[in-house]
Amino acid sequence: MAKLTSLPDLTRVREQARQDLKTRSRTGTTIAIGMGTCGVAAGARETMQAIEQELARRQIDANITTVGCIGMCVKEPLVDVQQAGRSHVLYGNIKPDMVPRLIADHLVKGQPVNQWVVCRIPVE
Amino acid sequence: MDGVQITENTGSGGNRPYRARVEICGASSCGDGVASKLFHAFQAELQRRGMTQEILLSRGKCKGLCHSGPTVLVQPHGILYCRVRPQDVPELVGETLVEGRVVKRLTFQEPLEFQVLPLYRDLPFFAKQVRIALHNCGFIDPESINEYIVRDGYRSLGKVLTEMSPEDVIREVKESGLRGRGGAGFLTGFKWELCRKSPGSVKYVICNADEGDPGAFMDRSILESDPHSLLEGMTIAAYAIDATEGYIYCREEYPMAIQRLQNAIAQAEEYGLLGRNILGSHFSFEIQIKEGAGAFVCGEETALIASIEGRRAEPRPRPPFPAVSGLWGKPSNINNVKSYAMTPQIILNGAKWFASIGSPKSPGTAIFALTGKINNTGLIEVPMGIPLGDIIFDVGGGLLKGRNFKAVQTGGPLGGCLPASSLNTPVDFDSLQAAGAVMGSGGMIVVDDDTCMVELAKYFLQFAAAESCGKCVPCRVGGRRLLEALQRITDGKGSHKDLDIIKEVSEHMMSSSLCGLGQRTPGPIMAALRFFSQEFKAHIDDKLCAAGQCKPLVRAKCVNACPAGVDTPAYLALIAQGRYAEGLEIHRQRNPFALICGRACPAFCETKCRRGEIDDPIAIRLVKRFMADHELEKPWNPAPLGTDESRKAAASHKVAVIGAGPAGLTASLRLAQMGYKVSVFEKLPAPGGMLSWAIPEYRLPRRTLFLEIDNIRRAGVDIQCNKALGKDFTLDDLLGSMGFKAVILAIGAHKSRHMGIAGEDKRGVIPGIDFLREVAAEATMRAVGQKMAGAVPDLKGKRVGIVGGGDVAIDTARVALRLGAAEVHVMYRRTGDDMPATHLPEEIEAALHEGVRIHTLVNPIGVGDLGGRGHEGLGSRPRDVAGAGR
Repeated sequence: MAKLTSLPDLTRVREQARQDLKTRSRTGTTIAIGMGTCGVAAGARETMQAIEQELARRQIDANITTVGCIGMCVKEPLVDVQQAGRSHVLYGNIKPDMVPRLIADHLVKGQPVNQWVVCRIPVE
Repeated sequence: MDGVQITENTGSGGNRPYRARVEICGASSCGDGVASKLFHAFQAELQRRGMTQEILLSRGKCKGLCHSGPTVLVQPHGILYCRVRPQDVPELVGETLVEGRVVKRLTFQEPLEFQVLPLYRDLPFFAKQVRIALHNCGFIDPESINEYIVRDGYRSLGKVLTEMSPEDVIREVKESGLRGRGGAGFLTGFKWELCRKSPGSVKYVICNADEGDPGAFMDRSILESDPHSLLEGMTIAAYAIDATEGYIYCREEYPMAIQRLQNAIAQAEEYGLLGRNILGSHFSFEIQIKEGAGAFVCGEETALIASIEGRRAEPRPRPPFPAVSGLWGKPSNINNVKSYAMTPQIILNGAKWFASIGSPKSPGTAIFALTGKINNTGLIEVPMGIPLGDIIFDVGGGLLKGRNFKAVQTGGPLGGCLPASSLNTPVDFDSLQAAGAVMGSGGMIVVDDDTCMVELAKYFLQFAAAESCGKCVPCRVGGRRLLEALQRITDGKGSHKDLDIIKEVSEHMMSSSLCGLGQRTPGPIMAALRFFSQEFKAHIDDKLCAAGQCKPLVRAKCVNACPAGVDTPAYLALIAQGRYAEGLEIHRQRNPFALICGRACPAFCETKCRRGEIDDPIAIRLVKRFMADHELEKPWNPAPLGTDESRKAAASHKVAVIGAGPAGLTASLRLAQMGYKVSVFEKLPAPGGMLSWAIPEYRLPRRTLFLEIDNIRRAGVDIQCNKALGKDFTLDDLLGSMGFKAVILAIGAHKSRHMGIAGEDKRGVIPGIDFLREVAAEATMRAVGQKMAGAVPDLKGKRVGIVGGGDVAIDTARVALRLGAAEVHVMYRRTGDDMPATHLPEEIEAALHEGVRIHTLVNPIGVGDLGGRGHEGLGSRPRDVAGAGR
């Protein structure tokens, strides 16, 4: 990555990255897992492993990414399921054994698992 | 994606370029072959149009969008089509691949089931938050600088470097009114200006990321979730004050934060956003991380500087302030993580925007870590000036298990607590200070009635005393002395002299300590003494810890909660073994009325029952009643107390007890057991007090009541009824001619509270206690075979209104029904959960079941014309939270 040496450089990088992110999110599924210390302490790493395993088992190609702490520490591990960049549902207290149902209901059947939902996040 | 080549390996060593790619989702294993049909449809259409050489058609991987499938991904357009059917293909190819237009109806539509889920902004937790410093936290990958940049990261730095002078930056920060978020609340822009104006060519920017307060994790969250915001803020500050080097002092107990910071610094340097010639300008700035090593005092700026210099962390007198002479004697600007993290947003959106949020003297937002006995523990950012109650009950979701709010500790171990009466206080620097508390860095620990405020103060004091660096006497020695005094109090060995010691030592520490640590160590105790002095006095005078926390004073929380101190765990164990008589004996050692309490005890023990922490408390009344009823046929002979000698000495003395209520009866029983000759004088025709003259027959049958009072007669107590003090005899008579050595006054409190509204003294408005007495008297007189003077009130067919929410109100309501009232309405001024009668939930349930109507949040403002006994003119006044803790 060459250093940015002007404001237009920064603007260019921003636009490029924005486009990349938009495309990546708009054309598939992204699963974001809260990975602050609160999340890790609640077992987010194990939850992420379970998600990776379940996706591999079903041969689903989704982006798995980590985010920081959104502030609802009592609901960690928090899992945000984003689809086609237009649907963002935040699930709370997701333990590894809850992952198979989450993937099956939300991704495959298009039915949110209501009792695990924290909220919907509007898309910018 | 621009610049991405779509090629296919032709197998013969070459790559054929295509104009676009169409990817049908899913492996061939997917479902009913719908995707396969789609694939063939595309093949056919592309062939028909002769486009097979320019468009690459392939099967892609499953994207997990099965509910909206089959999906078709068109690159390089980056369009995802959903629920595509073979008949859509010609339109899709024509519109998108040929004309380059989007077919809207085939784009992703969020399923309806998702659209009814609550929105993030509507959740109580987020609704009142305004996320400025935290705006990226939880939304970006903290290890990706690109994601930070996409969300306008480093845009402020760019603006500063290209459009603003250092003076412009300082002016902007000053105008915003930003006050240091580390807790001192010093005007940040002013501090930067001081540093800029200090002479010298070498200056430092330092970030205090030590965050030593127990229960505080605001800074950690920002470092872990959005490290670049700190870097950008520090860089802007460095530009403003002409510094070229910066240090982040981060406690080593935050390994993830340190790792993310190191990662972020490396990324920023790679992008030329940190280091030499930032963004191609003449401005250079480098940041290093210095790890702390477990010393709370390093949160104090001069101690922090000493630590960076490699010296032992001890504060030094100020002036000179670090802005003039700091790290290595050079002018240094020290700010908290949150102050730097807010800076880019201020530059981006402008000082006016920031100043418009919050309160006039404390603009912007404050970040709090909510912990303790609260439902929504976590991190929040709210506008300054928000009422404390809003934070606790709206954002925080109220107390766990619906318990009562007792206090909130703000400002960490050097802060102070605020009780329920302060719930309307706006949360900003000055209002909190005026209320006697401290904003601090932002920790908020919520406690309920199970927390002892003396113990809590001691907990913070232990921490602060342990963290004293030892340099100055007031803190080093004072902390120890305070701790010793508090320890004596919580051990039950305290005296009022200890309170004097605490006051004196605290004054010395506050006025003479070298740094904030010593000056504010007494903060929590002073606050606890200001708002909860009765708890300290109870520990000292009564050796009582009402919260049940101080172990030397509390054997078991239930026993501690029982006003009579009955050894419940003991008799429960005996009941479990079927040894009912022995259990009953244990009960009667502290409270002789096992039969009565089995029917009418308020069961304070249940609020502290350990089993109640898991599911429900033990239903102690039923257990007690079972045990007592089991031994009903065997009358109780109270055992003698004391020794033969003591009883012999007592036998020659007579004691008079005025009043045969529970207190008088118990006192007379114990005296008789100890060997005294006891006479009880009761004004009313039968003994029992409220038991006979208020509690209705259906709750406490008189036969059972008098059985239990007979036990007391059997101990040798002489109960004389219809004898009133002041009428039939005087105190002088008792101690004189009647020969009593001592008199116990146990006359009770049978009066009602007045409502203080117009029309209260109209005929038909009756105090609850008086009403209950009239009804109870009928049952009691019948039981002792006498006739009652007067008659039970006639309520047949009437509409009855009752004002109140305690036991008397509920008893009155149920009695009114039994007297034939057509309608019974209970009016209570607060919410159902606040009703005092809720300590007996089955009574309220029974009342509702029997048809009583309970109205909450209403309060009568006057009594109109009454036909019989109905309140015709009623108004309602919503009640204000102040002074009541809801």
